Amino acid sequence: MAAVTLRGVRKSFGRFEVIHGVDLDIRDGEFVAFVGPSGCGKSTLLRLIAGLEDLSDGDLSIDGALVNDLPPARRGIAMVFQSYALYPHMTAYDNMAFGLTLSRTDKRTIEERVRAAARLLQIENLLERKPRDLSGGQRQRVAIGRAIVREPKVFLFDEPLSNLDAALRVQTRMEIAKLKEDLRATMIYVTHDQVEAMTLADRIVVLNAGRVEQVGSPLDLYHRPRNRFVAGFIGSPAMNFLEVAVVTAEAGAVTIALPGGATLRIPVDGAPPPAGTRLTLGVRPEHVGVAEQGMPATVLAVERLGGETHCHVALEDAQRMLVRMEGDIPISAGDRLRLNLRGETAHLFDDVGQRL
Amino acid sequence: MTGARASGLKTSDLTRQRRRSAWLFLLPMLVVLAAVAGWPLVRTVYYSFTDATLATLDAYARVGLDNYLWLMRDPVWWRAVWNTVLFTVVSVSLETALGLVVALTLNAHLPGRGLLRAAVLIPWAIPTVVSAQMWGWMFHDLYGVVNAALLGIGVIAQPQAWTADPNLALPVVIAVDVWKSTPFMALLILAALQMLPQDIYEAARVDGVHPVKVFFRITLPLIRPALMVAVLFRTLDALRVFDLMYVLTGNSRSTMSMSVYARQYLIDFQDVGYGSAAATLLVLILALATVAAITLGRVRFEAGR
Repeated sequence: MAAVTLRGVRKSFGRFEVIHGVDLDIRDGEFVAFVGPSGCGKSTLLRLIAGLEDLSDGDLSIDGALVNDLPPARRGIAMVFQSYALYPHMTAYDNMAFGLTLSRTDKRTIEERVRAAARLLQIENLLERKPRDLSGGQRQRVAIGRAIVREPKVFLFDEPLSNLDAALRVQTRMEIAKLKEDLRATMIYVTHDQVEAMTLADRIVVLNAGRVEQVGSPLDLYHRPRNRFVAGFIGSPAMNFLEVAVVTAEAGAVTIALPGGATLRIPVDGAPPPAGTRLTLGVRPEHVGVAEQGMPATVLAVERLGGETHCHVALEDAQRMLVRMEGDIPISAGDRLRLNLRGETAHLFDDVGQRL
Repeated sequence: MTGARASGLKTSDLTRQRRRSAWLFLLPMLVVLAAVAGWPLVRTVYYSFTDATLATLDAYARVGLDNYLWLMRDPVWWRAVWNTVLFTVVSVSLETALGLVVALTLNAHLPGRGLLRAAVLIPWAIPTVVSAQMWGWMFHDLYGVVNAALLGIGVIAQPQAWTADPNLALPVVIAVDVWKSTPFMALLILAALQMLPQDIYEAARVDGVHPVKVFFRITLPLIRPALMVAVLFRTLDALRVFDLMYVLTGNSRSTMSMSVYARQYLIDFQDVGYGSAAATLLVLILALATVAAITLGRVRFEAGR
């Protein structure tokens, strides 16, 4: 167990800088998820922490010790790879024991550790099998087992579930959550799946184009996204964005004009912009209600998921929105609706995407 | 296929049609193989039981196993067998070891790797007769560059008769073969190396496995199937070696291989019966070596998983 600290971490490949100065404090025993779109640098950041890539600039410490120039094996980390990276010619047991047999650990200790990890992961009956005779989920467990037997200070997971099918992913997600409780080690988890990040992480680091956009607890990011990127990235289906103008401004709130004539009063943190300013309104699909009165809209298409209904609508000024309704709602394309927004669940972003 | 037959299912028309067209496609190859390889082989085996000579190919008497019995009692034949086996074991071992080194080097991310890879292939691309002649000149006892160079730096005190000295001739032949065939080994091994998944090497770095251990415990076991196929190919090639010895040392007994022996009797001594017996034995030894290598080395020709 250990804290991980990044100070001004940069990484360039040739002339291209892919990580533009990241500062991060990961606390002892914390589960942190790195999320972001493809190519945002989340995997590179993890590989920098692992020591599989060299830092171009900045400092990285694990458990208070500067590890910039230490090889991966001496950083006290263990890594679970997206592709599992099991040694194909070794049995599950040997895969887990291999790192230990080389570090002069005695045979009895190795056996105890491997058996304990296998028990924890419920793969005791698979230990004599080779990777090719294991299913994807079983391989993933062996890979996690290999990390556990190293008894690392920090666990690094690089998209560990992305090669599993949907049902197995949900199940393995639950098991990783249980593992987190059992091991109480620091864990860093890279994923592009925000559901994994939201359900597993104590804190989420949202990365975009090699920069940290926001760091916070899952619900913090959901309720108080710092900018438009985080707002659009966290939450599924994604947040609706509408172009709106300020009607009146007062201390702590602005009133905006909605398409179709209605107005909405939204609380803001900083100084409110003057009347007439163009802003972007962000509303999550689940925060749009259907009411007797409100913003008029026409249904364009309906997606029925059984438990919920997703309704694509066009507003008076042709801007589009997605409305998420609970249950199987009898509605069809061409229907006219009135939409109800609430100021507390709406967000306003300025012209550079910062939340007001 | 066998499953369908075992369970007594009727073969469908489509399957039968597919089998027919498969044989049709194979037919031209089978005809050519039978004409250029099958028939001469059958004739050679047949002649090995006769006293035919090159001059009297049509008039001969059957002599049963006489040729083989003579062969068994000829020390020159056994010398040829020993030379061939020694040549094969030493040259294939050296080529495997050096090929591995070259392949691992080329597999590293060096600048100019593509050019290097092409350059390494050159010795393999030159016809053996040409390269053997080239090395023959370089090893020449009077005008050869090898003597000149070694004398120059003081390794030897007087010029050596490299290809004539019975103690030096076989090592020289082996050295030339290593020079020529290492690229073949290196390229086959390199192809296997490039098929290996890269992520397990990162896992090994995280596990803290020493590079030497990584090679012996991970790389070597994983390229073993490809390596065994390469060794098998080279072994069969080396067991029937002819041109290298013939060009470098002629019919000299100190380097004579089984093929050189067979040719000498077939052509120089015109004894087709006896020469055929030697050639047939060579084929038998090759077949035995192949079977042994495939069983002992557990060589699999399908892609290794």
